[in-house]
Amino acid sequence: MLTVNRVSRIFQEGKAGFRNVDLSLKKGEVVGVLGTSGCGKSTLLRVLSGLDAGFEGDIQTGSDRPEEAFGMMFQEPRLMPWLTVEENISFGVKDKSRKAQAQELIETVGLAGFERHYPKDLSGGMAQRVAIARSLLNRPEILLLDEPFSALDAFTKMQLQDLLLSIWEKHHTTTLLVTHDIDEALYLCDRIVIMRGQPGQIESELFVNRPKPRKRGDVHLAQLKDEILSELDFTKR
Amino acid sequence: MSSRTETAVTPSVKEKKNKKTTLRTWNSNLLLGSVIPVLLLVVWEYASRAGWVASHLLPAPTTVIEEITTMAQEGELWGHIGITLYRVFFGFLAGSAVAVVLGAATGYNKTIHRLLDPMLQALRAIPSLAWVPLFVLWIGIGEASKVTLVAVGVFFPVYLNLTSGIQGIDRKLIEVGRMYNFTSLQQIRRIILPAALPSFLVGIRSGLSLGWMFVVAAELLGASQGLGYLMVFGQNTSAPELVIGSIILFAIFGKLTDEILKRIEKRTLRWQDNVENAS
Repeated sequence: MLTVNRVSRIFQEGKAGFRNVDLSLKKGEVVGVLGTSGCGKSTLLRVLSGLDAGFEGDIQTGSDRPEEAFGMMFQEPRLMPWLTVEENISFGVKDKSRKAQAQELIETVGLAGFERHYPKDLSGGMAQRVAIARSLLNRPEILLLDEPFSALDAFTKMQLQDLLLSIWEKHHTTTLLVTHDIDEALYLCDRIVIMRGQPGQIESELFVNRPKPRKRGDVHLAQLKDEILSELDFTKR
Repeated sequence: MSSRTETAVTPSVKEKKNKKTTLRTWNSNLLLGSVIPVLLLVVWEYASRAGWVASHLLPAPTTVIEEITTMAQEGELWGHIGITLYRVFFGFLAGSAVAVVLGAATGYNKTIHRLLDPMLQALRAIPSLAWVPLFVLWIGIGEASKVTLVAVGVFFPVYLNLTSGIQGIDRKLIEVGRMYNFTSLQQIRRIILPAALPSFLVGIRSGLSLGWMFVVAAELLGASQGLGYLMVFGQNTSAPELVIGSIILFAIFGKLTDEILKRIEKRTLRWQDNVENAS
């Protein structure tokens, strides 16, 4: 589905960005990228999405139209403040028949009744729901999520994580999720890639072999979390 | 789910309550705001009638109104008002149209900005009245030179506000457009222009007020009709009631046209998250 071959993007004379990243995603797989701040994980998503063209290496998608293969959801909702919820969701959709599906998505993300509201009238969680719906409406083959819930409170975050799970169940979208929240990665992902360093490199990779939906207090997940924490060991350079 | 429907319903209830209270505050504002002007009018009327001021210099308000109504009844006034409105309207239209094209181009494209902006900024430094002799020489004393002068006045505030509005747009929104592979034209039409709309409307409003200023200048300096001409005529025939009457008419039309733009602004910017739209 997606093959990333020795891709590097370096800033500030080699002090930031990431180096020599190899990564491949199978169809329908949900992969998490975990790392401390400044390890280049967001930059990785910007490179993949085409927002940052100054990289070296090779990115292959199995798509006929690679430029439309990716859908991206940002850390902030990034809604157009002059458009209503409905218009924001169908923003950028060229195909008219897709617009009918907007209503269905509005219901999926639980925003029925808010179609004509402007972003200023939405809470942070609701705005992020709109952003989820918008990124899904184009039916991207690969969905890129850049710390999508990091600005939300703990309860809203859990709600939206469950929403993502139910959407995956329905659409089987291949997803790359960048996060710094270990619990989130363990709860949502099939596989977790850990990045470290400045510039960041892939340090290790682990599989989460647990059926979804998982329990948040799962003992196995807690063990994995310990492993990840020692892997990320903040004292070592 | 229940909490969600609740939040969906509450805003409309609030709105009704708000309308009532805003109407009441609006009324009391109007009352309070008109205390001093009314008092001044009364004093002025009295002073003029009692002979405290020379009435051939400062006629009483009633005399001014009388003069305006007589002129209106005789039909002479409408021609003056019509021609002034015509000049402002077409000057405003032409000036803002050119400003939108140039402003969008310089705001969007850095090269065009470097090419045009310094020159336009330099032209802006020229005092408005300095153009008058040149325009009269070039395009004659007719309507075209007056409309052009108004257009020059309208152009700069619209242009400046639009470019600064475009340059201040959140890069994050532009990136959303790039994720959808928008073309430049789509970026401008779907993201850049709507996002710059608030500052564009500010520019349009200050452009209009400058347009009124410039029409006075144009008509004072060479016209045979118009409210500005009426002022010169009043000065030359020492009829202060004509001058004061024209000033009042300028005030009325200036305020009226600004109010129209203000309404449009409020309607189109309903989505803005600011103090005015807070419920």
